[in-house]
Amino acid sequence: MSEYSVIGQRIPKLDAREKVTGRCKYAGDMRMEGMLYGKLVRCWDYAHAEVVKIDFSEARKVPGVVKCLGPKDVTRKNYNTTIMKLLVPAVFSDVFGEIADLNIFNARVKHQGDVVCGIIAKTEKAAERAAEKVKIEYKPLPVIMTAEESKKKNAIQFTPLKPGNLAANFPDSFFPNNEYGWNAEDGKTVHQKFKDADLVVEDTFYVPRQKQVQMENHAYVALYDDRGRLNCWTSTQMPKLVQNLIGELFELPLTRVRLVQTPIGGGFGCRLGMIAEPHACAMAMAVPGIPVKIEYLREEDWVASESRASGHFYVKAGFKKDGTPVACYGDYQVLKGGYYTHGSGPPFCTAAFMHGMYKWQAMGCKADIWFNNMVPFGAYRGYGNPENTFGVEQLVDRACNKLGIDPIGWRKKWAKGIGDESWLKGVNFVSSGLDDCVKEAKKKIGWDKKKKQYANQKGVKRRGVGIGIMQHTSGAWPMLLEHSNVIMRLNEDCTVEIMASVSDLGTGAHTAVTQMAAEALGWPIDDVHLKCCDSDVNGFDIGAHASRTIYCVGRAVMQTAADLKKQLLERAAQNLQLKLEDVEFAEDKEIVCTWDSSKRINCRTIAEQSIYSFDDPATGKTIGIPGQMVAHYSDFVKHCSPPFAACCAEVEVDIETGEVKVLCLSNAHDIGKAIHPPSVEGQLEGGAHQGLGYILSEDIYYDDKGLCLNNDFTDYKMFGASDMPAENYVTLVESAPDDIGPFGAKSCGESALMGPIGSVANAIYDAIGIQITDAPVTPERVLAAIKKNGGVK
Amino acid sequence: MKKRAITLFINGDEYNITVDADETLTQVIRNQLNLTDLKHCCGRGECGACTVQVEDDRYPTGKKIINSCLSLAAMMDGKRIYTVGGLEKGGTLHPVQEAFVEQGAVQCGFCSGGMIMKTVDILENNAKAGEAEIREGLEGNICRCTGYTKIVEAAKQAGKVMAAGK
Amino acid sequence: MSNSRILPEFELLAPKTMSEAVDMAARYGDRATVLAGGTDVIIMLEKNAVKPEYVIALGEIPDLDYITYSKADGLTIGALATAYQLVQDKKVKKKYPALWQAAASLGSPQIRNAATIVGNILRASPSGDCCCAMLALGGSVVLESTSGRREVSIDDFFIDYGKIERREDEIAVELKLPPVEDASTSAFLRMTRMTFDLSKVSAAVSLQMSGKKCKAVRMAMGAVAPTAIRIKKAETMLEGVTITEKLLSDVAATVSRQVKPIDDVRSTADYRREVSGVLAKRVIKAACNV
Repeated sequence: MSEYSVIGQRIPKLDAREKVTGRCKYAGDMRMEGMLYGKLVRCWDYAHAEVVKIDFSEARKVPGVVKCLGPKDVTRKNYNTTIMKLLVPAVFSDVFGEIADLNIFNARVKHQGDVVCGIIAKTEKAAERAAEKVKIEYKPLPVIMTAEESKKKNAIQFTPLKPGNLAANFPDSFFPNNEYGWNAEDGKTVHQKFKDADLVVEDTFYVPRQKQVQMENHAYVALYDDRGRLNCWTSTQMPKLVQNLIGELFELPLTRVRLVQTPIGGGFGCRLGMIAEPHACAMAMAVPGIPVKIEYLREEDWVASESRASGHFYVKAGFKKDGTPVACYGDYQVLKGGYYTHGSGPPFCTAAFMHGMYKWQAMGCKADIWFNNMVPFGAYRGYGNPENTFGVEQLVDRACNKLGIDPIGWRKKWAKGIGDESWLKGVNFVSSGLDDCVKEAKKKIGWDKKKKQYANQKGVKRRGVGIGIMQHTSGAWPMLLEHSNVIMRLNEDCTVEIMASVSDLGTGAHTAVTQMAAEALGWPIDDVHLKCCDSDVNGFDIGAHASRTIYCVGRAVMQTAADLKKQLLERAAQNLQLKLEDVEFAEDKEIVCTWDSSKRINCRTIAEQSIYSFDDPATGKTIGIPGQMVAHYSDFVKHCSPPFAACCAEVEVDIETGEVKVLCLSNAHDIGKAIHPPSVEGQLEGGAHQGLGYILSEDIYYDDKGLCLNNDFTDYKMFGASDMPAENYVTLVESAPDDIGPFGAKSCGESALMGPIGSVANAIYDAIGIQITDAPVTPERVLAAIKKNGGVK
Repeated sequence: MKKRAITLFINGDEYNITVDADETLTQVIRNQLNLTDLKHCCGRGECGACTVQVEDDRYPTGKKIINSCLSLAAMMDGKRIYTVGGLEKGGTLHPVQEAFVEQGAVQCGFCSGGMIMKTVDILENNAKAGEAEIREGLEGNICRCTGYTKIVEAAKQAGKVMAAGK
Repeated sequence: MSNSRILPEFELLAPKTMSEAVDMAARYGDRATVLAGGTDVIIMLEKNAVKPEYVIALGEIPDLDYITYSKADGLTIGALATAYQLVQDKKVKKKYPALWQAAASLGSPQIRNAATIVGNILRASPSGDCCCAMLALGGSVVLESTSGRREVSIDDFFIDYGKIERREDEIAVELKLPPVEDASTSAFLRMTRMTFDLSKVSAAVSLQMSGKKCKAVRMAMGAVAPTAIRIKKAETMLEGVTITEKLLSDVAATVSRQVKPIDDVRSTADYRREVSGVLAKRVIKAACNV
C-alpha cells in the first residue's frame, strides 16, 4: 500500500478527453467576431541582405487587404526574444553582454525568413495573396555560415554592439581563462593536468542544429481592446515573462497587457520567450478594437523560430592507466545565427553539464559563440547537454577501450554522486539513483548476454551494445531566477481553486501539479482545480523551462497547501476553543481534538462559514469565522536536484551501406518519485525519439547562400512509428527520492533525450570499432568512416 | 469553374456549400465550416494531422484514410467524410479515443485527431493488427511527443475492444 | 520559395469523359495541369512550383481506375488506379513483384490511397519508386490526345530531370506492362533515411531465369541520375550466364561506375555511387530469392 493516495496514481490526464475529441482549441483554432488575419512577409531569397525598398502598391489592391505595415508603422524599439535578462541579476547579464538586436520588421535581413513587413486582411487568403504581391528590393550582403568566416578581421559585422562578431563567450572577469571548470587539488589547471595523464584522447565533434518540430504551428491572436489593453493569446511556455517583455516593447504597464496561454501543441523549448508575439501585438495595435490572428506555415518554423545550437565541439580527456579521470577540456565553437537571443545560455550549459558528470581531477570548458546567417539558436530540450553527451560519452568509451576497462564499471566508479558539485558551483547532489539506473538499464537490455554474443561477429550486419549516462537539472537555480507563485482559494464547498501560471506543454504538468496539490492537502483530486494560463488571474511564474515545473512549482504547491492547512487548523482550534497544538487532521476533512475525539469540526463547515458567515439573529453572535480563506506562497527555490539516468542501446550496423538500426533502447531514469507515472514514461519515451533524431537523423541543412534546404518533413527526417525501436524500455527508478524535491521528485522533462545519444554512439563503436564524430551519424558518415578506417574491427 | 456548389456529409451532417476551386478539403472544413477538430500542420501530406476517413466502396470497410490537405474540396462533392470530432457517440468515447486516454497516448494533443483517425482505420480493417502492422500503419502520422510507444499500446488495447465488439 | 498555405488561383475543370479531358488539354496546353490523385500536383501548387491557369481534374471520369491482367496483353493500369489498389492486387504481387514492392513503399497509407501509379510515372522524379520498377519491368505509357492514342515505350519516356515524352495536349490514360513468363522474377529495393521517405537510391531488376542461369534481364536504378535509368552494362554482364557471388560483385562494381549521382540534401554522390552497387547486388539476390 502506497503512503500516497493521489500522487503516483495512473489517472487519465486532465486534458486528455478534450484532446481526443478534437474539442481542445489551440490558438490556430480560435475564431473571434470580426477577426482579421495577419501575414508576416519574410525574406525567402536571401540569408543576408539590406532591405532597400518595400513596395505595397500591388498588395494594397488585393480585395480584403486592410493594412500593409512596414518598419515605420510599428515600434522601432529593439528587442530580444529571450527572457534571459529577466532571470539573471543585472551584473550577470552585463557580463554576458545581453543585447537587444531585433526589430519587429527588420531593415537588414540576418537570416532567411527574417520578417520584413506585414499584411493585415479580412481573410487568410487575402493576406496570403497580398503578401505574395509585396515587392521588396534587397541589396545582398556577404553570407557568413561558418565560425571561421565570422571571426575574420574584414568580415561584415552583425551588430556594432558585438565587435568582431563574437556574440558571447565566458567572460574572463567571471571565468578565468574564459573557462568554466575547476583546477586540480594540487593547484594545476586543466591544461597543466593533462601532463599527469597516461592516456589522452581527443576529437572535434560536429553537433547538429536540431529543430524542436513541435506539431502545432506557431499561432497567435492579439487584440488591442477598447480599454486600451493589449491582449495576446499564445502558446508560449512563459506567459508571465512574455507579458513583461510585451509590456516593455510596447511601453505599456502590465495592467494593460494580458497574456492568455492557449493549449501548447508541443514546445520542447521552442516557445521559451517570444516568437511572433511582438508581430501579432504590433498588428493588433494597428487596428484597435479588432482581433488579428497570425498562423505560421510549417515551412516557416525551421527558418523563423529558434533551433538548437550547432557547431564544432573539441573535447580532450586524460586518464591514468587504471582509468582514473585526470582532466577533461572542451572548446565549443558555436554558430549563433543572425541574432543574439539566448547568446551564451546553451553553450554555457554544455560546459555546466560537463562539469556535473564525472570526477575529473581538473576540468574546464570554453565556448565562443559566433554570429552567422543561420536561424538563431535558442532553447531546445536538453539545452547544451546533448553536445556534452555526444562528445564526452564517446571519449570515455574510447579511453576505456584503450585501457581495457569496462565502460559501465568506469562510469559507476567515476560519475559524481551525493555531495559532489553538480552542473553549477555550489549545487551539490543530494541524491543519486545512478547505480540503480545502470543496473536496471543493463538488465532490461540483456547487456551481459549480448556483449558476449556480439564479441566475434562476421558478416554484413554487425551488432553492438553501448551505454551512455547523464545528469541534468531540476530547474535552473542558481543560474536563473526560480520563482513561482501559487494561490489556493478555499471555496464555500470546501474545494480549492489553485491559481498558478503552470505551463503544460503536453507533458502532463497540469495533471501532476493538481495531483500534488490534492496529495498535499490530503483531499481527493476532484476537490482541487488548477486555474492557469491567464495573466489576469495568475501571479508571477517563470514558466516551463529547465525541467522545472514539477520540482519548483511542486514545492510552491506544497508550501501553499501547508499554509492553507495551517489556516484551517487555526480556525478549527478557534472554533473548538482549543489551542492550535491540540487539533489535527483526520479522515474526510475532519479536524479533531488530539485528546478528545468528540471535539471535532469538518473543514466543510469552516469553509462554508468563512463565506456565508451570518450573525445569529437570536444571539447576535457571528456564526463561524468570517473571511474567505486564501493561501499564497511566493517561492524562490534555492536548490536544484539534478536527476541521473543511464541508457543502454543495441544497434545493428550494415557495414556495406553504413545504415544503423536501433534494435533496443533501455533508459532508466532517476525520478526520485513519479508523480504521474504515465506522464513520466511519456517524457522518457518521447525524449528517446528526439535523442535518436539528434544522434542519427536530424540537422538543418543550408546551401552556400545560407538558404535552408530542409524546412519541411520531406527532408527534415525524424523517426517514424516503425523506425522507433520496437523495444523502447523505460524504467522509473524511485529508489533515491530527493530530500528537497516535492515528495522526493526530480525532473524528467529534458533528460531522456541525452541517454540515447551517448548509448547509440557507443553501441555503434561496439559494433564496428569506429567512432563517428559528426552527428547526425548518417549512413553516409558511417560508410565514409569505415572506408577511411580500412574496414571494421 | 472558379467556384463550385457541393454537398459534404461530415460525420453525418449535411453541408451544402460553395467552395473556391483552389481550396483544399482541410481549408474548407476548418475555415468555412469551422470544424477545428481537424488540424492543419504541414499542408503537404506528410504529417497526417489533417487525416480523415472518406467513404469509398472499393474498400472492405467502405472507407479510406486520406490527407485532407491534398484533396481539393471541389472534387469531394457528395462524399461522406469522417473526422475525429464525430467519433464520440452519445457522450461515449470511441474505443480508440478511450484507449488513447487510458494509455496516456496523448501529450500535446495536436497530432491526436489525425493519429486517432489513422488508428481507427487500421483497426477497422484489422482489429487484430499486430505491433508491426500498427507501426507501419501509423507511418504518415507524425507525433513529436510520445515516441509512439503509448500510441501503439493504445492501438493494441482498442483493437482488443473492437475485436470483442464484432 | 513557398510562403503560402493557399493554393494559387486557378480554374478547375472536371471532365466527365476522357474525350472531354483531351479536348481541354488540347485547348489549354501548357496553361493547364492535369490532376489525378493530387499527392504530387497539390504539393507543387502549394509550393508555387506550378502556377497553372487551369487544373484538369480527372477524378470524375468513371472507370479509369482499372488494373487488368491477361496472359496475352500483360498488365494494364488505368490513370486513376491508386497505389493502394495495386498493392491489393494479388496478381501484381505475384507476377510483377518489383512494381508491387515499389507501390507498397510509396509514401504513407494516406498517400497510397490517393496517389496513382500513372501519376508516379508522370512525375518522373529520379527517385520515383514506380519509375524505377517500371523501367526494370519494361512496358509503355499510353497517351491520348484529340488526334488519338499513342504508346511510348518506358525506355523512351524519361528524357531528363522532370522532362517526359508527353506533349502538352496529351493525357496519360494507362500503363502497359508486358506479360510475364513463368520463369521470370523481379524485385525492387530502396534505401531511405526513414521508412516514410523518398528513395535516396533505388534499384529494380526483372530476370528470366533458367535454373541459376540468367536468360534475360532488365535492371534500373533510381536517384542516381536526372531520371531513373537502365543499367545496360550490368544487364550485358548478367545475360546468358550463371549468377554467382563473384559475378554479383563484378556487377556491383560496374553499377557503381556507371551511375552518375549528385550531392543533395538526402545523400552524397560518393555514397550513392558506393551503395548503388550494393543495392544492385542485393536486388538481384532478392529477385532470385537467394
